[in-house]
Amino acid sequence: MSNADQISEYIVREFLPDLTPSQLPPDLDLLADGAIDSLGVLKMIAWVEHHFRLAVGDTDLDPENFRSVNAIDAYVARSQSTAATGG
Amino acid sequence: MRNRDADQQALCAGMAQWGKTLSEGHIEADARSAFEPHRWRSLAGSGVLGLPFPQQWGGAGQSLLTTLHVLETLGETCRESGLNFCATTSMASTGVPLAAFGGDALRERYLPGICSGELIGAHAITEPDSGSDAMAMTTRAERDGTHYVLTGGKAFVSNGPIADVFVVYARTRPEGGPLGTTAFLVDRDTPGLSVGGPTAKMGLRTAPLSTLHLDGCRIPADRVLGRTGGGLLVLDHVMKREILFGFTVQLGEMRHRLERTVAYARERRAFGHPIGDYQAVSHRVVDMKIRTETAAKWLYDTAERLAAGEDVTADLAMTKILASEAALSTSLSAVRVFGGAGYLTEVGLEKEVRAAVAGTLYSGTNDIQYNHVASTLGLGG
Ligand SMILES: Cc1cc2nc3c(=O)[nH]c(=O)nc-3n(C[C@H](O)[C@H](O)[C@H](O)COP(=O)(O)OP(=O)(O)OC[C@H]3O[C@@H](n4cnc5c(N)ncnc54)[C@H](O)[C@@H]3O)c2cc1C
Repeated sequence: MSNADQISEYIVREFLPDLTPSQLPPDLDLLADGAIDSLGVLKMIAWVEHHFRLAVGDTDLDPENFRSVNAIDAYVARSQSTAATGG
Repeated sequence: MRNRDADQQALCAGMAQWGKTLSEGHIEADARSAFEPHRWRSLAGSGVLGLPFPQQWGGAGQSLLTTLHVLETLGETCRESGLNFCATTSMASTGVPLAAFGGDALRERYLPGICSGELIGAHAITEPDSGSDAMAMTTRAERDGTHYVLTGGKAFVSNGPIADVFVVYARTRPEGGPLGTTAFLVDRDTPGLSVGGPTAKMGLRTAPLSTLHLDGCRIPADRVLGRTGGGLLVLDHVMKREILFGFTVQLGEMRHRLERTVAYARERRAFGHPIGDYQAVSHRVVDMKIRTETAAKWLYDTAERLAAGEDVTADLAMTKILASEAALSTSLSAVRVFGGAGYLTEVGLEKEVRAAVAGTLYSGTNDIQYNHVASTLGLGG
């Protein structure tokens, strides 16, 4: 399963049980009012960092990285390639 | 009562020895609305303030569960509930986020003082125009080179008038939503920081509370606790411990209240019988017992699950509701069982009612806790 599919599946399972993963638009603004509440956002970040084994260190928590399935997917790919190149 | 292992029993017995000293003159202290430094020093001498923190930074390295057992004993034996509140506030507001999110340099500099009681901590989230909706805060932190510049106003800062160090939550991104806030460790003597005088209030009068004003306070960037944008993560971690610490102390207070009320119901006579012979009284006391034991089960069960890394969002909210409502209801029941005497300041029960009301408000009002549970059920919009 691609990273994007894993992310969609998690989000639907945890926060949007009325949808199926394929019904979740990958560019839906998850941080906009109503989609996921504040505590949900924290839970989602913890899941992303743990599931994809991201070494987060003291990097800023930029909301743009968590705004949509596409954004999370890109953030994961960027973080993993940075880790792989040691940068 | 939950089973305690030998170490926990020894620590609790040690804590209990301090009860008399800490409680002396507590009714008069409440009447004076006075925080008393000598009492704080005695409390610090008991070692309770450092219990859950790592030994390398002056703590006792005890588990969450052991810490709660000792805090329960504090509540059971120390009648100065304002002092107890100051203690759990300093531990939870500042010790907890430093230990979990502070860099080594910050921990080394501040944690030993928080553990020994030489430093008193406080935290500032609430603002005059945003309480329950904490994320609507407007205090802002703007990056300026190696510093952040904090500007804004805070309200309801427990320990404010006596604190040496504050954990201030401020917006680092105006449009960042839940990722828009950051937690900063701020010294009391930071230029631009002013602390209001103690605000008069209904109960917990020996636990002073104040406003805080930040007028362009320059805070080095290494004073960020956790990550920039991660303030809500820090706050979530802190609130879980604040609720467990604070309401486990109240559990101890409820146990003492129950014991005192049972003794009174056996001894006080009316119509030729002890009042406890009348079902109206005995059932009221049983109700106190049920609420106390329910709070105990929820507090320790939730703590165990939190320590095991489980998601306790809903459990913690339910624990807070049950424990705070139990404290309020049992404090009123005690007054009623004591009859007219319960209403007298000198008997020391009416101040417990005033203190218990606050528990339904701080650490997220009970209405907000209901919302948390509703959201885990997919309800509440
Ligand atoms: C003794 C005491 C100590 C405190 N210590 C601290 C401290 O150390 N640091 C700190 O930052 N703050 C502290 N506070 C502040 C406390 O956290 C706030 O008072 C609390 O969060 C409520 O905010 P508010 O007072 O602005 O009430 P509001 O948010 O204005 O709420 C008013 C009423 O509306 C209800 N309400 C609001 N929104 C909703 C909703 N969405 N659904 C249902 N009901 C709702 C509330 O439950 C409440 O009944 C303390 C408060 C007290 C009383």
